[in-house]
Amino acid sequence: MKIAVIGIGQSLRGDDAVGLTAVRQWQEKHPETACLPNLQVEVMENPGLALLDLINGSDAAILVDAMKSSFDAGTLHRLSVEQLSSFTSESKSSHGWGVSETLQLNHLLNPSSQNIPIRLIGVEAEQFQIGNGLSDIVDRVIPLVCEAIQDEVEALLLN
Amino acid sequence: MKTIEVPALARVEGEGGLYIGLQDGKAVEIRLDIYEPPRFFEGFLLNRFLQEVPDITARICGICPVAYQMSSAFALENALGIKVNPQARALRRLMYCGEYIESHALHIYMLQAPDLFGKESAFELAAIAPDVVKNALRLKKIGNEILKAIGGRSVHPVNVCVGGFYSWPDARSLNDLLTELEWGLQASIDCAKWAMTLPYPELEINYEFVALHHPDEYGVIEGEIWSSKGLKLAISEYETGYIEEHVSRSNALHGHTIDGNTYLVGPLARLNLNHEQLLPNAQKALKDSKLKLPLINPYKSLIARAIELVQFFEEAIQLVTDYKPEGPAHVELNLKAGEGAGATEAPRGLLYHRYKIDDRGLIQFAKITPPTAQNLPRIEADLMAMAPKLVKMSEDDATRTAEHLVRAYDPCISCATHFLKLNVEEVR
Repeated sequence: MKIAVIGIGQSLRGDDAVGLTAVRQWQEKHPETACLPNLQVEVMENPGLALLDLINGSDAAILVDAMKSSFDAGTLHRLSVEQLSSFTSESKSSHGWGVSETLQLNHLLNPSSQNIPIRLIGVEAEQFQIGNGLSDIVDRVIPLVCEAIQDEVEALLLN
Repeated sequence: MKTIEVPALARVEGEGGLYIGLQDGKAVEIRLDIYEPPRFFEGFLLNRFLQEVPDITARICGICPVAYQMSSAFALENALGIKVNPQARALRRLMYCGEYIESHALHIYMLQAPDLFGKESAFELAAIAPDVVKNALRLKKIGNEILKAIGGRSVHPVNVCVGGFYSWPDARSLNDLLTELEWGLQASIDCAKWAMTLPYPELEINYEFVALHHPDEYGVIEGEIWSSKGLKLAISEYETGYIEEHVSRSNALHGHTIDGNTYLVGPLARLNLNHEQLLPNAQKALKDSKLKLPLINPYKSLIARAIELVQFFEEAIQLVTDYKPEGPAHVELNLKAGEGAGATEAPRGLLYHRYKIDDRGLIQFAKITPPTAQNLPRIEADLMAMAPKLVKMSEDDATRTAEHLVRAYDPCISCATHFLKLNVEEVR
């Protein structure tokens, strides 16, 4: 089973870097898993539609990204694609196109992609300020995000 | 009074809204509100070393970074009095091919086509015509792959420098694109045929078209700035013919001719002024379309983009096939104080830059005139011309038709949001 582990975000926009940081730290913490030949580990800044190529070339995918909903900053979410579909951008501009929209488009264009198990590990952000680093509260949960990634990968490897 | 209000325009690049007030069959107020905050790029270029400029200006736009970095590179090369070598120039045109391909494929299929199919979004279009959207994504990817092969990454490429390129790209990585480019050429020819079958709203405007013109190639880099009214200016003379002014309601400057008239830049202007320079397959696509030039329906910009898609696939194949890197990829810079202007054709139209540098190569003045800023007054004027038809439509249809008109311009609001000056006043 080919598994893609993908950290998504922007390194220059505050907590939006959490997906990139967490995947890199997970690689360092669990090299024996991250280096398995059937794992493809990527950090992607603003992947847009390029995300589809990576997902469609895999048998399963784990996405790690920042998110914003009504929960407290630092809350860790583990979502299915169906649960993720409610997290869409409020912007109607093409600049509001995000992970949720990209996955919905994939299902329309490639119905067979619905058979690819996709899990999203999301971290509630506190701020997306330009030039800022991670908020303390988000930084503190990164070890938990790493364990969640490891947990999801192990669950997929067992199947 | 009947009003059309679109608080947030959909399927455009950036954040803006539209307000039209109609009374007695006429538009009494039209506002294209640009509320995306200004970005101050010209400000933070000051006192930067000139070699940083192409990488910074590329960040103005994720769809047309090449145009921004290349206009700045040409302007700074003009300030230093240097010319890049012929292979570097050809490679720059190949980057433009990539940019036009990814930008036009996105706009034709994902941004404007849903309007012509009566759909609200690319999602709805994907549900009824998945193969159309799949083709769009494949075409767009080819454009991005060209940028990646030359510029190291598919968005905001980093290899362009003042004087040429930091390094020659690997010939094999370019040759690997040929199979997809051949597919793209045929797909773009099919796209041009398909574009002719779509139901465009009726609207014909007597535009002043403005575009770069080059006698030996389809105008994209270098050459002269031509107007359909007969004005021909050297790039360094651009500001003698065209200026920008601040409009209080907008975070984008508005461009007009020195006489105060609106003008149009972009695919319609390029096709109408430069169709004789199209390559054979693009010429054939134009001939087969039986279009009568000049094309003056703004909604039909999609057809002009489709013909340009053929042009840039055809040119990309030629440039990849002929690619032979020899010698240094960039000329050495001899720093001196000076001033230089550069203009290239971004997918959305003419993009002008002017810089002053000191003898250490530090930027002392920067001016960037994006295509959307030049087109904003023209979009409002088109909406004014469309008003008598909008009045007779239902509110939903009028809103859709007006929004479609804005979208047909492929406005990049984020690129257009720039101020030359910001006044901050303390309110007591």
